[in-house]
Amino acid sequence: MNIQFKKGVLEICVLALLDKKDRYGYELVQKISDRIAISEGSVYPLLRRLAKEKYFTTYLKESTEGPSRKYYRLTEDGRKYLYQLIDEWHEFTKGVNQIIEEGVTDE
Amino acid sequence: MNKQQFINKLTESLQRLPANDRTDIVHDFEEHFEFGLQEGKSEEEIAASLGSPAQISKELLASYHLDQVDEKTSAGNMFRAVWAVLGLGFFNLVIVLGPFIALVGVLVGGWVSGLAFIASPLLLALDTLLHPQSFNWFNLFVAIGLTGLGLLVVIAMMYVTQFFMKGFVRYLHFNVRFVKGGLKDA
Repeated sequence: MNIQFKKGVLEICVLALLDKKDRYGYELVQKISDRIAISEGSVYPLLRRLAKEKYFTTYLKESTEGPSRKYYRLTEDGRKYLYQLIDEWHEFTKGVNQIIEEGVTDE
Repeated sequence: MNKQQFINKLTESLQRLPANDRTDIVHDFEEHFEFGLQEGKSEEEIAASLGSPAQISKELLASYHLDQVDEKTSAGNMFRAVWAVLGLGFFNLVIVLGPFIALVGVLVGGWVSGLAFIASPLLLALDTLLHPQSFNWFNLFVAIGLTGLGLLVVIAMMYVTQFFMKGFVRYLHFNVRFVKGGLKDA
């Protein structure tokens, strides 16, 4: 896939993973990189940017083992934004899928 | 690259960020390394899947400079933001630099003509000093008229400049959000 516009997809992934529960950075990165080939480091700039735009808040939680974890929690704004992105995504993929079907099957 | 090399490289390329932002970022990555190590990965493996610290810091710097513009739209902040966004990749050179040069050209053109109109009586005065025989009243009236026009142009340019700069900043934000970076080529 063309890399130029993949970045927007990463944003949906991060927000979607936070919809049901709070997660910490490493967990988010792993969840995404299990499924999609990403440069893991680029998730952190994204997290900072979204936090700055108030789409989520962060808090530190001590852990019995290992370092304290920085958790991300989706705000109401973030959730609204996520649902808007999801709608756009469905709309977009629907269009592309239709084009593929028409293009490939009717030839 | 091991953990220390990665962190050093990152810290080094983030020199322009405020110290507390930098500490915060570095802490995130140290945390990442620790979790990775706990899972039994080596420092080198973790660093490799994180990607290049230079690219990561470019993204952080681009966001930072854009925030600066949001807080205060000065020419300096604007240029730093454009520069930082350009650094994100070659693609941006085309889709950011082109429009930016065009925009600056139009704005500079507007301002220069507005200011020249305002200055026209001065130019007329200078001309009269140098060539007293060339003076005629018609030129003076035209020059005064142009001053009025120039004032209007300059006032309009203030609004136009503000409007376009805001628009361009939004375009840069869009750019940072969608263009380049994040996923691997594969």
